[in-house]
Amino acid sequence: MSRIIATAAIRGAHACVARAEKMLSETEERHGRDKAIGFEATAYALPVTLALLGKRVMRLGDLDEVLQEIRRWLPPIPDSDIWLPYLGGALDAGAATLIAHETVEALKPLNGHDLVYDYWLGPTADGILREQGIKLVDGRMPGFAACVGALPDDETAERLARDLQEKNILVFMGSNTNGETMAGQLHRRGVDMNWETFLVPYGPDTSSIIHALGFACRAAMTFGGLHPGGLKEARDILMYNKRRVFAFVLALGDVDDEKYATAAGAINFGFPVIADTDIPQILPTGICTYEHVVSNVPYKEMPSRAIEVRGLKITSLDIPIPVRHGPAFEGERVRKEDLAIEFGSKYTRAYEYLKSRRMDEVEDERIRVIGPEIGDVKEAAQLPLAIFVEVAGRKMQVDFESILERHIHSFLSEPMGVMHLGQRDTVWLRISKKARDAGFRIEHLGVMLLHKLKNDFPAIVDKVQVTLFTNKEDVDQLYDEAVAAYRRRDERMGAMTDESVDVFYSCALCQSYAPNHVCIITPQRLGLCGAYNWLDGKAAHEINPHGGNQPVAKKELLDPVKGKWKGINEFLEVATNGQFQSFSAYSMIDDPMTSCGCFECVACVLPGTGGIMVVDREYRGNTPVGMNFSSLAEITGGGQQTPGFVGIGTLYVLSKKFITGDGGLPRLVWTTTNIKQRLGEKLRQRCAEMGLPDLFDKIADETVCTDLEPLIEHLAAVNHPALGMGEMI
Amino acid sequence: MSLKLQPKKWPGKIREVTLGAGNRQPRTVGGGNGLPLHTFEADFPHRPVLALEVTDINPPRWLDIVREPWEGLLGKPADAARKAAEQYGADLIMLNLMGTHPDRGGRSPDQAAIDVEAVLDAVRVPLIVKGPGAGAKQNDVLARVAEKYHGEGLVLHSACQEDYKTLAAVTVAYGHVLVSESPIDLNIAKQVDILLSDVNINLDRVLIDPLTGGLGYGLEYTYSVMERIRLAALGGDQMLNSPMICLVGEEVWKVKEVKVSERQEPRWGDQETRGINWEVATAWSLIEAGAEVVVLRHPDSLARVRKILDAWFAEGASNNTR
Repeated sequence: MSRIIATAAIRGAHACVARAEKMLSETEERHGRDKAIGFEATAYALPVTLALLGKRVMRLGDLDEVLQEIRRWLPPIPDSDIWLPYLGGALDAGAATLIAHETVEALKPLNGHDLVYDYWLGPTADGILREQGIKLVDGRMPGFAACVGALPDDETAERLARDLQEKNILVFMGSNTNGETMAGQLHRRGVDMNWETFLVPYGPDTSSIIHALGFACRAAMTFGGLHPGGLKEARDILMYNKRRVFAFVLALGDVDDEKYATAAGAINFGFPVIADTDIPQILPTGICTYEHVVSNVPYKEMPSRAIEVRGLKITSLDIPIPVRHGPAFEGERVRKEDLAIEFGSKYTRAYEYLKSRRMDEVEDERIRVIGPEIGDVKEAAQLPLAIFVEVAGRKMQVDFESILERHIHSFLSEPMGVMHLGQRDTVWLRISKKARDAGFRIEHLGVMLLHKLKNDFPAIVDKVQVTLFTNKEDVDQLYDEAVAAYRRRDERMGAMTDESVDVFYSCALCQSYAPNHVCIITPQRLGLCGAYNWLDGKAAHEINPHGGNQPVAKKELLDPVKGKWKGINEFLEVATNGQFQSFSAYSMIDDPMTSCGCFECVACVLPGTGGIMVVDREYRGNTPVGMNFSSLAEITGGGQQTPGFVGIGTLYVLSKKFITGDGGLPRLVWTTTNIKQRLGEKLRQRCAEMGLPDLFDKIADETVCTDLEPLIEHLAAVNHPALGMGEMI
Repeated sequence: MSLKLQPKKWPGKIREVTLGAGNRQPRTVGGGNGLPLHTFEADFPHRPVLALEVTDINPPRWLDIVREPWEGLLGKPADAARKAAEQYGADLIMLNLMGTHPDRGGRSPDQAAIDVEAVLDAVRVPLIVKGPGAGAKQNDVLARVAEKYHGEGLVLHSACQEDYKTLAAVTVAYGHVLVSESPIDLNIAKQVDILLSDVNINLDRVLIDPLTGGLGYGLEYTYSVMERIRLAALGGDQMLNSPMICLVGEEVWKVKEVKVSERQEPRWGDQETRGINWEVATAWSLIEAGAEVVVLRHPDSLARVRKILDAWFAEGASNNTR
């Protein structure tokens, strides 16, 4: 922690505690120690004191003990010789300051100073807490801003208040800057301030800010079911606030010692401080989720910067586009006669490219169309298109680019009257006349992407900016970068090996159908449904840590050939309810992985050939084992280990770890023309890599035969390597 | 040679959840340490309980045959609840606040609270309060009810994966029980429970509603999901061992086989008998799968399920060899 801040905070805390002590002894002299004390309309006594000390202050005399306790929390003021860590001391000083503030506020009425006057609302009643506090906890209200001090002028004050209001953020105001208050500024602008407008002025002294924290403490005790007591309970209440109450402090104007001390108190709650002045920053994370003190922020950027630093997520329920949208419209086609405009397919170049950026490189919610809009061209025109999406997020990773990018298809299929096919640079996008007549423009593609990305991936996406290029020059210019990115991603996934990572990902999404089934997804073996590779598992876990994809540490390697790890087996036993103790990643004979029912293909041993066949789900005919796909699926699925039968994702065939425990790709003797077409060149390449360039053509398919006998004859005729490898079982 | 029984022992057991508090006569469910109804090898401190459904408005889509036992009481939830508890022997009542749905009159949270109060005054059995379905309106309605009747141990139906925080907060704040709903999906059932415990709900205050269809309409799908939930719970999974609730009546009384009259399909026989049979068959299947709170519509169905339960759990019943 910054030495300057820590010193100021500790100095401020000493002053605050001393003031509270003085005020208490004066008040006791006047009223006696038995005088009842407390805020109106709350059952939580002095709530911050209750939360942090577990002590229910009812009478003046109770405060003696409280102040004695917090005096013990005060560290000595660091002198110029001390250069040791200050964080703990400053935080303690901050906590002491908060309780001193609460004491002062509670004593005010006994000394003839009302807490409620003019536009100042004073402490919040429990009734309002019940109505409004729940909104903080359940997310209807994304958070609160405790505004400390005043803005340089009335107009700026109103603009800041409106910006916060617009984001549904509750605004608490307190303290002053050289006598000027934000609430006073808003009052002069004629702004309504009350609980209905989310603008709540507490009081003109810095101590009044305590009512914001009292509100937070009561929210935790009420809706978090937390009971105050000792230190552990206090910690739970603070942690609850850090995790659930998305609040932050806006330090407006000069920051004096007392404000530093108060800010240190707020940091205990995980509430960071955003300042407009050039105070020292505290950037490392620790108590708060991200930075603790960020300074020199222009007023215009304060709300968005605060939202980012506090890790607050704001999602929009209504996507502002002029046509209806939803998964129901996904399969919709736009026919030639209904066409307003079209991009891509064989007519023009069209592609989509999502890039991750640094936080400061993305201007959130910025959508631009560069080139002609829908109204600038004749009906049914064909334009080039580059959908360039730039995403920034605290938890965004380059590896997630392809995952987010893949969702562009479903997002852009959702608006009624928009047809989107393909991905990357195979995009074909059409907008119907009806959508255009309803006001849909190219720009709205960006609006759709912006909102869907933020709503569906709040864990990793904080900022989105979309640029839609529709002029040939720009589209061509960005194209090389996009293609290079596609290639880089493919190479990255291609270069990733099971040895290069420490964790695999589980997938238990199908346990509803197949109770004891669990997939283990490795970099070199994608999920059997073909929909989830290792990176998807990683992203899914980041997005939803409680979901069906969990990281599984490999731990000790038990069998390098068959692909068995200690950690995987341990996980397996728990995840399958004790049903299975061992999985092989690379064998379909020895402890093969189980299969749910969603596999793209079935791999099955063909007795007498020394090989296997791979049959895809679309294939309707018979196979050399005398079964069609659905009969095979019945034997393979249901979460059982059936040696010789395994469900796989089609792309696993191309993996360098394809059943290597059983002999690998040379075992493949029969497959379907569907699969041959789908894997095509890549499979040929893979064969060549293995030193078997003619293997591809030796693999039979349904055009060669669908019975075992002729297959064996065929294999012998082409001299298929499997024949010489011996039986698999 | 005599057959030696080998009772199956499980490491886990179902949580005990107490429904109703304050002025309610509380009922506890759960606590079993074996598969449902396996009274021959496991202990079941509490039997499944049976609820009857009453509605805040005259329900527009109820069939005549299921309206008949409630003649003159539909849309009068207090009177219906009294009859359900006193005459029809319901262990608890489910008040379906269907009238709060924007498409069914959009009654306000305050009107809903009046209905709840009337039912709470009329009966002493625990009360399940069902909102109009996930969304802002349900949260407004149930949050108001929860706050106003704090301490009554109401069962709030229901929170789901997408929308649980409001109801979770009021459950914690005002001492109620929350139903965690999932769309016939084991993973989501578990996830909702994790999410709820993450917002500080004590899972001893949670029931799982796995959702179901009536017999012939996906019941078997729910059956296997429930079976799986039970097996996980008994295997020691602390996030899936909440007792389960099934809303049987609302599913059964809308299926074709129950709606078609005898005149249209003479071979299907008497419509009322058929409807009740359908409700009993669905309810009993779900009890076999592990349902411990079963909500029914027809009092005759309740009487018949009660009879089977009584026989099953009777002292010295043939299935109870221990």
